[in-house]
Amino acid sequence: MTATAVAARVDASGLTDVGLKRKVNEDHFVIAALQKSAEVRQTSIPDPRVFDVLRGPEALVFLVADGVGGRPGGALASETAVTALIEYIGRAAGCVHQLDVDREHEFLGQLEAAVHEAHERVLAQSGGKAQGPATTLTMATLVWPRVYLVHVGDSRAFYLHKGRLKQLTRDQTTGEYMVDAGVWTEEQAAKAPMGGTLVSALGGDEMTVAVGLVDLQPGDVLLLCTDGLTRHVGDERIAEVLKRAPDAETACRELVADALAGGGHDNVTVIVARMQG
Amino acid sequence: MIQKKVCMVGLFGTGKTSLVQRFVHSLFSERYLSTVGVKIDRKQVDLDGTTVALVLWDLAGRDGQDDITTSYLRGAHAILYVADGTRRETCDQLPELRALVREAAGEVPEVVALNKSDLKDRWAITATDEQSLASAFDLVRTSAKTGEGVEDAFQRIARATLATREARP
Repeated sequence: MTATAVAARVDASGLTDVGLKRKVNEDHFVIAALQKSAEVRQTSIPDPRVFDVLRGPEALVFLVADGVGGRPGGALASETAVTALIEYIGRAAGCVHQLDVDREHEFLGQLEAAVHEAHERVLAQSGGKAQGPATTLTMATLVWPRVYLVHVGDSRAFYLHKGRLKQLTRDQTTGEYMVDAGVWTEEQAAKAPMGGTLVSALGGDEMTVAVGLVDLQPGDVLLLCTDGLTRHVGDERIAEVLKRAPDAETACRELVADALAGGGHDNVTVIVARMQG
Repeated sequence: MIQKKVCMVGLFGTGKTSLVQRFVHSLFSERYLSTVGVKIDRKQVDLDGTTVALVLWDLAGRDGQDDITTSYLRGAHAILYVADGTRRETCDQLPELRALVREAAGEVPEVVALNKSDLKDRWAITATDEQSLASAFDLVRTSAKTGEGVEDAFQRIARATLATREARP
């Protein structure tokens, strides 16, 4: 099956909500298709549909960003990061077919470079001031069947495979780092006031890009979300919704509704992409 | 710059991620979190004036439910197998893993990191077993916790990829 054929069979949808406590939605998301671009204006070929192959998507990009609350310009930071990334990827990685090993590493390098460029743009907004605007970022680029992930902060990517929900990213928070270092237990990290503080963010003092990938199969479901979902909805419930919902749009609505029912303390954003068989 | 893809392969819980963390970030954590999919890290190694950029593919370990996803091995320039001296089965399954890897990636350079040397008093393999492994593989004792052998294991891998670059760029 070609990338084009499969990309067309991905049922993807995204949804964002301001939540019940915040006045401004500082989250942003994007679902974008990277495609070859050739517009045939005139031809002597009897059936110009043969050129349709040049118009299909080569890859799908899913991206969520969560502007850091409590800092001015959080919404602008996440918007800037999303825009910068999509621009960069559109320029640098438009053609992703037939990725051999060298080109795959080059592509991964481009994804990382895109995040660094977005980081610089967000930094530029603060004019070098400390505690300026910042944002998380989790981006998945699907070149069937492989998903390339770049991740900064505490938004998350999951995938549902054979009914099991697996978390693909790790939160870059003080709590996670202290547990890693053996200083705190997971319970202590969950209760600590500083446990959820980001130690890495675009526009932040530190910015570390985590890179990974996973191969999907028909039937798998990819989920990207901001912490407005995961602070209120547990993994079991998320898995249940992803398994049961008839389509991606319904899954998004149900997940956001669950987050609001759970308190809606933060902005909530989800992207669901179902790999159809 | 020369760039080489190195896949970390072994059963779950052998310390693949910890070895990469130690080598790339000089960090160690006692916490165990199983890898999902592939985690990718990079590190440059200088070998007699030649810089090699190792792109380390840390693969989810084989467990009872999931086998190694062989599509991740495609195009690998070298394999670093990781076994845990405290768990005999992680060594016993190396020949089987090697067969699986060779089917997907061909015969590429390979090194075995016999990990958790800091727990030597709890090892489940004998000196004879270790010798037997060493006769079949390029074997290095490692400890992600203390750092013992870690640089050596990755240096050997880097050298091995350079040695074969003429044959397979």
